[in-house]
Amino acid sequence: MAALILAQIALGLAAANWHLSPTKLTLFFWHKSTGMLILALALLRLLWRLANPTPVLPAGTSAWERAAARASHAFLYCAMIALPVTGWIVNSAANVPLKIFHLVPLPAIVAPDKATENLAALAHFWIFTLFAALLALHAGAALRHHVVKRNDVLTRMLFASPGRE
Amino acid sequence: MKRLALLCALLAANAFAVASAADWKMDPTGSRLEFAATFEKAPAPGVFKEFDARLRFDPDKPGSGALDVTIDVASADMSSADVNAAIRGPEWFDFAKFPRAEFHATEIRRVGADRYLARGKLSLKGATQAVEVPFKWTPSADGATMEGEFVVKRGAFGIGTGEWSATDVIGADVNVKFLVRLRKGR
Repeated sequence: MAALILAQIALGLAAANWHLSPTKLTLFFWHKSTGMLILALALLRLLWRLANPTPVLPAGTSAWERAAARASHAFLYCAMIALPVTGWIVNSAANVPLKIFHLVPLPAIVAPDKATENLAALAHFWIFTLFAALLALHAGAALRHHVVKRNDVLTRMLFASPGRE
Repeated sequence: MKRLALLCALLAANAFAVASAADWKMDPTGSRLEFAATFEKAPAPGVFKEFDARLRFDPDKPGSGALDVTIDVASADMSSADVNAAIRGPEWFDFAKFPRAEFHATEIRRVGADRYLARGKLSLKGATQAVEVPFKWTPSADGATMEGEFVVKRGAFGIGTGEWSATDVIGADVNVKFLVRLRKGR
């Protein structure tokens, strides 16, 4: 999922900056398809998280660290859902046809409207900007656990072993 | 005076002869001219809002028929502001230089009980190509309906030039679909 999100960011940045050409449309096609896949996976992940106990933070984690972890994780979940949804709104408002991965036709969730398209695109951009910053923080914090605090948080993130204390 | 009367009689007879081959005029209400391109294998539909068709046609003697269609290309609407902005440019329809398209067929033949085929020439964006238009003829109380669909290759008319001539993103085939309501009259 992390790899998908990184690929998605690369696709989105390339698509947004490419000059108007078939290549740009192809980049957007893969960006949109991947986005819908991420939305489905993020919803599954959220359900999984709500149904299962949250991994326990290592002993000796201070109160501010716990609060920061909680807040940033909450935002990451929100963004994993809000980014595909705002993208979906942009696509619907622009009234551009899309068959996800050439397979599933994507229904429109809003009526065609230029103002809605612009607003959703702006939201997509700013949520992405915050998301990118939080992602850097998330990765930095994981590295700090591994290198500075020398605990198993990063190993747990990469090779899930739930239930272990 | 006698010669004038004769001339009038001849003209009237002539007019009658043409009228018996049945002239039809399009009723814009309920008539539709649609097209569907493809974008990444998903249909991208559009419509020409303004067009007109004239037909000389007798369903029992289609050989003497003729079909003339004029299309206001600039009335194309693909129901997306972004796409509409793109198709008006020189790489696509080039509204400024080629605002009109025409189709003329002088060869109509029967291919089934109520099915016909009109062979003619389509002129679009400065290119003229032979096109076969199949249609179904349905007479009604106050006129008739002709409907059908056919495929044109956008490349043959230079619709999508340069990088856009590649057909992997925007497909080569465009499906054209029409429903024309006709009334008898000149």
